Amino acid sequence: MSGKQTNLLQGTLDLLILKALALEQMHGLGISNRIAQITRGTFVVKPGSLFPALHRMEEAGWLASSWGESENNRRAKYYKLTAAGRRQFETEWRQWKTIALAMRSALDAQ
Amino acid sequence: MSLWSRLSSLWRNLLRKEDVERDLDGELHAYLDQLTERNARAGMNPAEARRAARMELGGMEQVKEEVRGQRTGHLLEEILHDVRYGVRTLRKNPGFTWVAAVALALGIGANTAMFSVAYGILLRPLPYPDASRVAIVCMRYYPRDFAYGTLSIRDFETWKANNHAFEEPALFDNTLLDIGGDGAVPEQVKGAIVTGGFFPALRAPPLLGRYFGKGDDRATSASMVVIGESLWRRRFHASRDVLGSSIRIGGAPFAVIGVMPGAFRFPSAETEAWTNLKLAPSTRFGPWFYRGVARLKPGVTMQQAQAETNAIGLRLMQQNNVYKRLGLPVLELRTWFAGEVRQALLILMGAVGLVLLVAVVNVANLMLARGTVRDREMALRLSLGAARGRLIRQLLMESVLLAAAGGAAGTALAYGAIRLLRAWNPGSLPLMEYVRLDARALIFTLAVSLLTGVLFGLYPAMQSARADLNSTLKEGGRSGSAGRRRARIRAALVVAEIALSVMLLVGAGLFLRSLDRLQRVSGGFTGPTQQILTMTISPGDRKYQDARLGVPFYREVLRRVQAVPGVEWAALSDALPPDRQGDADSFAIDGQPAIPGEINPIVSDVTASAGYFRALGIPLLRGRYFDEHDTADSEPVALISQSMERRFFKGRDAIGQRLMQSGPGFGNAWLKIVGIVGDVKYLGRAEKRDSDAAYYMAFGQSYSQRMYLAVRASGGAGGVMADLRREIQAANPAATVSRTGTMRQALDRDVAEPRFHTALLALFAATALLMASVGIYGLISFSVAQRTQEIGVRIALGARPGDVLRLVIRQAMALAAMGIALGLAGSLALTRLLQAMLFGTSAKDPFTFVLVPCALLSVVLLAAAIPARRATRISPVVALRYE
Repeated sequence: MSGKQTNLLQGTLDLLILKALALEQMHGLGISNRIAQITRGTFVVKPGSLFPALHRMEEAGWLASSWGESENNRRAKYYKLTAAGRRQFETEWRQWKTIALAMRSALDAQ
Repeated sequence: MSLWSRLSSLWRNLLRKEDVERDLDGELHAYLDQLTERNARAGMNPAEARRAARMELGGMEQVKEEVRGQRTGHLLEEILHDVRYGVRTLRKNPGFTWVAAVALALGIGANTAMFSVAYGILLRPLPYPDASRVAIVCMRYYPRDFAYGTLSIRDFETWKANNHAFEEPALFDNTLLDIGGDGAVPEQVKGAIVTGGFFPALRAPPLLGRYFGKGDDRATSASMVVIGESLWRRRFHASRDVLGSSIRIGGAPFAVIGVMPGAFRFPSAETEAWTNLKLAPSTRFGPWFYRGVARLKPGVTMQQAQAETNAIGLRLMQQNNVYKRLGLPVLELRTWFAGEVRQALLILMGAVGLVLLVAVVNVANLMLARGTVRDREMALRLSLGAARGRLIRQLLMESVLLAAAGGAAGTALAYGAIRLLRAWNPGSLPLMEYVRLDARALIFTLAVSLLTGVLFGLYPAMQSARADLNSTLKEGGRSGSAGRRRARIRAALVVAEIALSVMLLVGAGLFLRSLDRLQRVSGGFTGPTQQILTMTISPGDRKYQDARLGVPFYREVLRRVQAVPGVEWAALSDALPPDRQGDADSFAIDGQPAIPGEINPIVSDVTASAGYFRALGIPLLRGRYFDEHDTADSEPVALISQSMERRFFKGRDAIGQRLMQSGPGFGNAWLKIVGIVGDVKYLGRAEKRDSDAAYYMAFGQSYSQRMYLAVRASGGAGGVMADLRREIQAANPAATVSRTGTMRQALDRDVAEPRFHTALLALFAATALLMASVGIYGLISFSVAQRTQEIGVRIALGARPGDVLRLVIRQAMALAAMGIALGLAGSLALTRLLQAMLFGTSAKDPFTFVLVPCALLSVVLLAAAIPARRATRISPVVALRYE
């Protein structure tokens, strides 16, 4: 567990999960590893946050899940983006960029 | 997000829950395995790897719970769970559940029923389009002084000529119509005689044919009739051929032009036929038979119309110097129907609202008591990690369930109550036929029951959930500061219940006193009421308007009726006590010249046959009754009532003086006063003595076409009815007999309305009292249970049963005294509103204000005595071992 754990902003987790799944389907552990990797360890997603988010997003129709074989020949549940999920990813990405830009110019203002 | 995806999730989560759970379980275990494997690869030994993996996962059940919290339909599922749990708890405590649900059902049921009645009478739209724009126009003037009196055709002409506010003004008069001449038994129905604007003003379309229009009310118009649906079905077998046919009314032919639907009930609920009024140019003021009805022109308000008729009233006073203080009151149709019962209904609504309040307080009290018992359960569940919000929601759900059960039972109760009220309707509640349990009343009930649930559920729920865990668990849920505060609140609730009950009881007590006073008022006659049979007779043909035909007919009827076995006395009159005033007119007294333009007040004038006073038992005070020698050929005579002599003869002996009907200018003969008789109530027993002034004219010397027959039978009145009818028909086959009944029934009818209100109010008060006694019983039992140890110690230290009894009862009496004091204060403030409805009873009637507290104290004593006796039997050994 990382000592300088940063709290995830509300809504950020969804975007990170969507981003993690943008390229290929993955299982839960894969997703949390990938998020740690692409945020360079800034965000470590705990199972208590990850699974509720995955299930919520699946019920929203953004993700689809299926059982498959893991890299070590173990059964694992895989998640992938649906068409709706891809559209959601585009939308949230655009929104995030707007917010980030706005925040930066706000905080940089003299 | 897709709705479809949400719905399919909801479906799966609710109905395939096991699959979903198994899937989740599998997923988390797979994850755990993956973590373990990763840790093992990093060099941990298997046990260590597994432990680290578990740590990282952070508790399988917690994660599952988090996931469940995110599921679609999660809230619904929790609520369903709360419902199931609530039902289970309520079923486990049948005593509590029954008392609470019954209390609520009574409060809600009574409220719904009263609301439905009040809504039906005061608010439900009348079955005429835009009925609020239809006005009834009446006339009030001195000396006639009826608030909503009648006008004459001359007055109508003036109104019509100066009218700008209304569309075509119309005139109507209630009448009785003898329908016959078609081979069937002649029949008398209630009808109305109306002008051309009458139906257009109400705008209700006919069922068949047409109704009167402009031009149907000329002096030269043909005689026409519109019949009601009920008459059409009953007498004409619902045949369409009736249109255009001619029927006989009072012996004259009338063309049937239309049929009105059953819902059209105007001017009265029983009106079944309408004939056209033929307006001949009037030559004088009077007769004052009519009232106006008209629809406001678009954009004109009732106030504007009233202002205009006020101006017309001034003009009428200039035209006729007999009119003093004249006004033409404009009434909304609804006020016309329901104006008189409005106040009574509002009072009953207020009373039933208090009943609901008592019910709510009672249930809140029960909930609080239960909350105290359940403190321990709540504390335990909180310490096991239940969320406070969740606990509150679950407790609230219990209240809502209870309120819903009470609401459902209450609705059923209301349904029954309304049917009962409609069947019981004394006939004085107008528009009762429109009263039914309707959607609005139902919504009202549900709102009341839900609100009640939230109200009485919230406080104890918040308290239970806020409980301090440590102390509650230590104390075993017995006292504690929360417990003490709650006991104080419960005591306050019981005090409130008693105070509300006192107010209701005082109200009911006053009504009962008033009703009792009213029922003691004599109608002015002493004959045995069960044996006096009365009925309306009509010769059935308008040719009998001529006294030369009519008087012999009635004399023949009297002769035949007197010969019927079992008939002791038979008499004719055109008025009957207690509520059937016939005619009313002014009068002149010989030697008391009236000031020009002034006339004497209008009083009852009665045409009666010789046997009338003996048949009814109206006492003769001085002089003589009419006798068989008073005929058209002998000297015209009159009798006057005691009040008539008192009011107008100022201490002089009236006997031998002369009286004239109507007053100067009408060409009537002087009548010699031959006797003074007792006062008779012709306007209802609630009227003041001044209205008992009446003068009597001898049948034969005076005549009216429609008379009442009063018969005193030696046996039961019912036995002779068939014979009477046969004899009357034998005297004239076209004659009709209607409105038969005994004097007992008439007296009952006269007080039916106050009796109705009184019975309802007494019922409400009894309900409240019952609930208050349940409340005090509950409180005292509970407090005895709580003080078992203390009482045990007292007994062990030598307290005698009497001491224990006093201890417990003193507590109950203190609460009762406080409640009674508050209730009496409230009553004094509120009963002023009742004063107008009380007969011969002060709103501060000392008898009631003393009796009610005594009655209440004894009920409280009884309710407290049961737990108090239980307290005396507490065994000190058991009590001290209790913990």
